[in-house]
Amino acid sequence: MANLGRLDWYDIARNTNWQPTYVQEDELFPPQMSGSMGIPLPEWESYDEPYKQTYPEYVKIQREKDAGAYSVKAALERSNMFENADPGWLSVLKAHFGAIARAEYSASTAEARMARFGKAPGMRNMATMGMLDEIRHGQIQLYFPHEYCPKDRQFDWAHKAYDTNEWAILASRHMFDDMMTTRGAVDTALMLTFAFETGFTNMQFLGLAADAAEAGDWTFSNLISSVQTDESRHAQIGAPLVAILIKNGKKAEAQKMVDIGIWRAWKLFSVLTGPMMDYYTPLEHRKQSFKEFMEEWIVTQFERSLIDLGLDKPWFWDQFLEELNYQHHGMHLGVWYWRSTVWWNPAAGVSPEERTWLEEKYPGWNATWGTNWDVITDNLLAGKRELSYPETLPVVCNMCQLPINATPGPTWKVRDFPLDYKGRTYHFCSEGCQWCFEQEPERYKDHLSLIDRFLAGMVQPMNLAGGLQYMALAPGEIGDDAHNYAWVEKIRAARQKAAA
Amino acid sequence: MSTAAEVSQNNNVGPVMRQGELAQAVVEAAEIDNPDKIIKVEDKVAYLRIQTSDEMILKRQTIEEMLGRPFSMSEIEIELASFAGRIDTQVEYIRFYHAKHL
Ligand SMILES: [Fe+2]
Ligand SMILES: [Fe+2]
Repeated sequence: MANLGRLDWYDIARNTNWQPTYVQEDELFPPQMSGSMGIPLPEWESYDEPYKQTYPEYVKIQREKDAGAYSVKAALERSNMFENADPGWLSVLKAHFGAIARAEYSASTAEARMARFGKAPGMRNMATMGMLDEIRHGQIQLYFPHEYCPKDRQFDWAHKAYDTNEWAILASRHMFDDMMTTRGAVDTALMLTFAFETGFTNMQFLGLAADAAEAGDWTFSNLISSVQTDESRHAQIGAPLVAILIKNGKKAEAQKMVDIGIWRAWKLFSVLTGPMMDYYTPLEHRKQSFKEFMEEWIVTQFERSLIDLGLDKPWFWDQFLEELNYQHHGMHLGVWYWRSTVWWNPAAGVSPEERTWLEEKYPGWNATWGTNWDVITDNLLAGKRELSYPETLPVVCNMCQLPINATPGPTWKVRDFPLDYKGRTYHFCSEGCQWCFEQEPERYKDHLSLIDRFLAGMVQPMNLAGGLQYMALAPGEIGDDAHNYAWVEKIRAARQKAAA
Repeated sequence: MSTAAEVSQNNNVGPVMRQGELAQAVVEAAEIDNPDKIIKVEDKVAYLRIQTSDEMILKRQTIEEMLGRPFSMSEIEIELASFAGRIDTQVEYIRFYHAKHL
């Protein structure tokens, strides 16, 4: 008997819809969980996933992927990467694992919801594998940093971060809970698989892999690019969904969810990925600037596919392109300044050679951000390190949970976007964040930013020590300058040489 | 210099492969299976961006010949980290394309 080719039986085998007789369709697929916007079942059955995968193939291929990632790790175990790596690179690893590993379990929950409540059989099939993918990402990204815990306590945050109220985690959790754990199958597919995974995960898992390879950290490079091969498959859950929504007159709804997803992802990446790529990665290992990676992955590749699927550029596109020039510089300055409030050691990244590189990649950097770093540098040169720490709290956005900032210079560009809603005044960093809030104020209205919590007296004592305790940052975990200020001495030497 | 506002006006399609033996085979297959097209390869050390405009086909058999060992099309996923354009996965080939030319 001849074997059937996979595509001869695939559609029949995965078509698991049936007519329920004991319960109503809405009981089987509660609208709140499926988020199906009243689109009838036969329409959902037209869902045609472009990246077809059967379970036996899945198991075989995933086994090979894991064999590859673990064997590279084993082979390089004695390479002393940890001992030889630049401290800035170790900060990349710490920030990455803490912000990402446990979020993968939330992603698995999101996939599980699509696997159960998606009305399209093809979506359920893809999401079943996506759910297993995300468990893999959680496990493997906890296992790999685990070996570093005895050497450096900050690596413990790979597992610990999401159990805390540390500010960067508050921001990450606010965004990931929004797109992964609190919406129906359709909205989750649009925000997570389409906006986030077709677009932004490429930055963190491939762009960063390029830097890792340059830095000689093949274990990490190989690990994260392997993770992205899973993402690249299950991210395709979104594309056929967009087609069905457009066909059934729901383009505006789809566009809105995709736009919220893009805006929110952008803000988080500006604080996480931006500083990693442009400041923490040692200069000689920077494959491209953060902006260049964003242009490669988000503008050239992702935005183009959005248009091909029949969606439009998000309404905030021009503002987003503008922010690519500056937002992450401000985030980095803030993270370094408030360095005792993160679980990694931010590298300042402003030695003379690095400043030359920044000026080349971001013309005008020296005349703007550079002037802020001049003040910090001069204080450190004068032995006044205490002046390089903050004395006040930042104003934090009630959507992205990140400090409100803009390019410094002769004109004051920082702008607050305030909004009154049911007796409370909210502050936003941008039109984009305010717009996200206004789409569904009831969803977001009760959340308190870290600063709101301070002002409400929830953080006691109301000082840095109380703040660190609230954020669960223990001694040995509290961040400090990655290079222990060695770069300041380099500047001193350069200035003395110039003066001589 | 192209501005960021213009770069989404492109018709690039094709796989982004993790560096290695399969990536090299895919580069060769891209040339053979798309004879009328210019194939551009960008080497980012960790990955290779292999692109052409509008449409690219990669045949299972061609990749198998370039590898010199049996290859099933679905195995491309082990190294397929991302791709530009849309994807169409078949048993004997894989296709990257845009529905609209800009
Ligand atoms: Fe993942
Ligand atoms: Fe994912």
